[in-house]
Parts: sequence; structure tokens; C-alpha cells
Amino acid sequence: MEDNSNPVYKDQRHGQSKELLYSYDKDGQFQRTVGFHGEPDRIILQQAWDHFNERIEDARQRVIAGKASPIVYYMEKFLADPLNLSMMAGISIWRVKWHMRPGVFKRLNEKTLKKYADAFNISIEQLKKVD
Amino acid sequence: METKTMINYTHRQAGHCESGATSNLLRFYGEDMSEPMAFGIGNGLYFSYIPFLKVQFAPMISFRNLPNTVFHRGMKYLGIDATVIKKFKDPKEAMLALDRNLEKGIPTGMQVGVFNLTFFPPEYRMHYNMHNLVCFGKEGNLYHISDTVMETAQVLTYEDLLRVRYAKGVFAPEGKMYWINNVPGNLDIKAAVAMGIKKTVYEMIKVPFPLIGVKGLRWMGRDLRKWPKKHGVTKASFYLGQVLRMAEDFGTGGAGFRYIYGAFLKEAGEKFNHTELLEASEMMGKTANRWREFTYIGARNCKSRSQPQEDYGMLGDMMIEIAGMEEQVYRKLDKIKL
Repeated sequence: MEDNSNPVYKDQRHGQSKELLYSYDKDGQFQRTVGFHGEPDRIILQQAWDHFNERIEDARQRVIAGKASPIVYYMEKFLADPLNLSMMAGISIWRVKWHMRPGVFKRLNEKTLKKYADAFNISIEQLKKVD
Repeated sequence: METKTMINYTHRQAGHCESGATSNLLRFYGEDMSEPMAFGIGNGLYFSYIPFLKVQFAPMISFRNLPNTVFHRGMKYLGIDATVIKKFKDPKEAMLALDRNLEKGIPTGMQVGVFNLTFFPPEYRMHYNMHNLVCFGKEGNLYHISDTVMETAQVLTYEDLLRVRYAKGVFAPEGKMYWINNVPGNLDIKAAVAMGIKKTVYEMIKVPFPLIGVKGLRWMGRDLRKWPKKHGVTKASFYLGQVLRMAEDFGTGGAGFRYIYGAFLKEAGEKFNHTELLEASEMMGKTANRWREFTYIGARNCKSRSQPQEDYGMLGDMMIEIAGMEEQVYRKLDKIKL
């Protein structure tokens, strides 16, 4: 059984839970073992997280540079795409895309901002800036 | 308001969330059914590949049926009286219905979204709304939850549970809940197994649509070869990673389901003394091992990214070979008479 001190995960919180894994051995028996995921799974998961973190960082830079509204950053942080976000916030996808412009975002009223804030589970003040 | 209700419900870890919940629920009602058995009867095995729909920036691949199929079909085939409430308009009403059930002593299964589940392993966080868990107790503001992915039973607060039950997005759960009312004494498991196998065979090889079942696997294999040329190496690697992520993780994943199905065939074969089922189970086990090899090679490919053209060609061939192997199993199962 592998331990979870595998260096593949960069985030310490990852890879801490044991799961039930099935396997088939040479004698034709199906085995059930409880353990951590193997090396390939960790590589795949880490690759996916690298990709997401890259997107989040990229979005953050764009927001700070004033090229995008904070909605883009929070959307990436929530691992969502515009369609998902429109479903979460209850706003049509075209309007969501329109609100991604910083100039448009500044003119948004409280009601719309509240919808986004609720979808991201944060306050309106937090929504207006990125951390 | 201090109320405490606890149902004497045993939590067992399982590979697949819904069949695990189904088997645990059946066990609560005195019918000792293993997880593979519930998985096989309820048609847990499935495949669909939808390249034009993107989930988390990669083509959508599903290794499981629509939510609640395993429970619903399992109950139908076994002839058990069960209730499924598809949706509640009012979230508070949904929680009240759960409370009422708990007071009556009925452990209740629910469809939830994974993203806001607080106890879930953080590496699996994604917008995935087809997860299942069973609630079996309430203590003030806390709900006792049996999630079969986790090793032990967990607790969730009222607000968190409400949030995951009303997760938004594709296949939104909308407060779906289900429970068993009554289990008749003598279940006809043999008939249920026969019906379950028949339906699975239909879904894997006979659906007249090219993206579902074995045909979908072949289609994906052909697409896999083209990815590096079409999207560039980085994106192809990410796509492949997503395929493998679906195949390996999220509750053992698609490749693991082949093991569970093989275990189901073996158990059924031993129970009814049926040699052909045992042979099919052996074939399924070998196919599952081949899936695992596919993951190993794919993961290595993701890491090193050497000579992508050849590697992706090889992986595509391998996928098509796996599809052929699986098809043989289903053709064999199709001829079996129980």
C-alpha cells in the first residue's frame, strides 16, 4: 500500500482520503482494497489542477490590468465556464458574457451584483475586488 | 431546538456512489446485497462520448447513466416498493420532507452536487451534480451523512446540505430524494439479474446512436488519434488527462466500473451455478485490466509528452481494441439464458 507522502501533489490537502478500489488478479479473483490512488491518477489530477490554477492566475492578472471584470476571476476560481455561471446565477449567458467587460461591470446595479455574489457565496464588496 | 434522531444505519464504503447507496439501503432493510450486485442489476455500466459539449473545457465523457438510474431500475427489477421524488420547488419544503422521513426512521438517499460538499476530497472539486449520499440522522443543526466515497460517516450543517441539494448547473439535483418503503420477503434475484444484464447489453451495443456504448468508445478512439494535430500538444494532453480523470477517478471511475461489473457477473455466476456467466466475468476482468494499462500509458504520456503523434495513435488503437474486447463480452452476455 502506498502512503500519501507522494511528491506529485503540490497542494498538501490533496490526496489525503482513502478509497475503495477494485482490481482483478491473475487467479481470476476480484479484489477490494482500501487505499490511496496510484501514481498515474495523481499525475492526471495534478495536471488538471495545474491547468485550472494557470487559468485562475491568468484571469487575476487580466482583472488587475483592467482588461476584464472580477466576474471572470471568480468564475475561473469556481472552475466554471460562462454557461455554468449563467445557470448558477440565473442570468442569461449573453448577459454574463457582457458583464465580463470592466466598464459594464462598474455600471451594474445592486440586484445583479447580488445574484453573482450569491452564486459565488461571497459578499458584494468582495465581488468588486480580487484578492 | 434540540432534536435528535439517529437511525441505526451501517455505513460501508463503496466504489460507485449510487450503487453503494442502494446496496447500503437494501442492507438496512435486511436484504444483504453486495455493491457489485446492485451495480449490475441497476445498469451502472454505461458509456457516452459527446465531443461537442464541453465540461470543464474538455469534451464530455460519461461513464455512468443518468442520475438515479441505478436505484430506480434496481428497485423496479427487484420489485421493491420505493419512492422517488424528482424535485421540490421550495428548498425549505425539501428539507422538511427529509426531516419527516428521518423522524419516521427512514434513511433517505439524495442527489447532490459535489462542488460545495465540505467533506469531499479537495482534489475532486468540480461541478458534478450526479453524486449520491444517504442521510440517516439529525442532531440539532447537523445532519449525519453516509457518503460511500468516504471511509467513515460524515456530518453536514443544514445550510451546507441545502446548498448541495440545490446545486445549479447541468443535471441540477433540485432536491431529488429517494427511499425504500417496503421490501417483500422473497426477492426474485435471478429475474432481476436477467433483466439487468439485458438492459446493459442493450445500452452498450444496441442503441442506434453512434456516440453511446461501444460505438462511442470507438468514436473516441478515432478522435484521440487526431487530437495532437487538431488542438496542439498541450491541449491534447489536457483532453487526454480529462478522459483519464473520468476513467479513473470520481469514485473509482469508468475503468473501475468494469471491475465492479466483472465482480457482479462472477457473483451471479456462482450464485446460479452458471459457467457462461463466469466466463464472461473472466473476460470482463481482462478488459478492466486493459483499461488500467490504458491509464498507465496515458498518464505517462501526459507527464513526458514525447513523440505525441505516435503515442496518441497507439492510445487510439488501444481504445478501439478495448472496445472490441468489451463488445465480445456483451455479445456473449446477449446469448446467455438465465
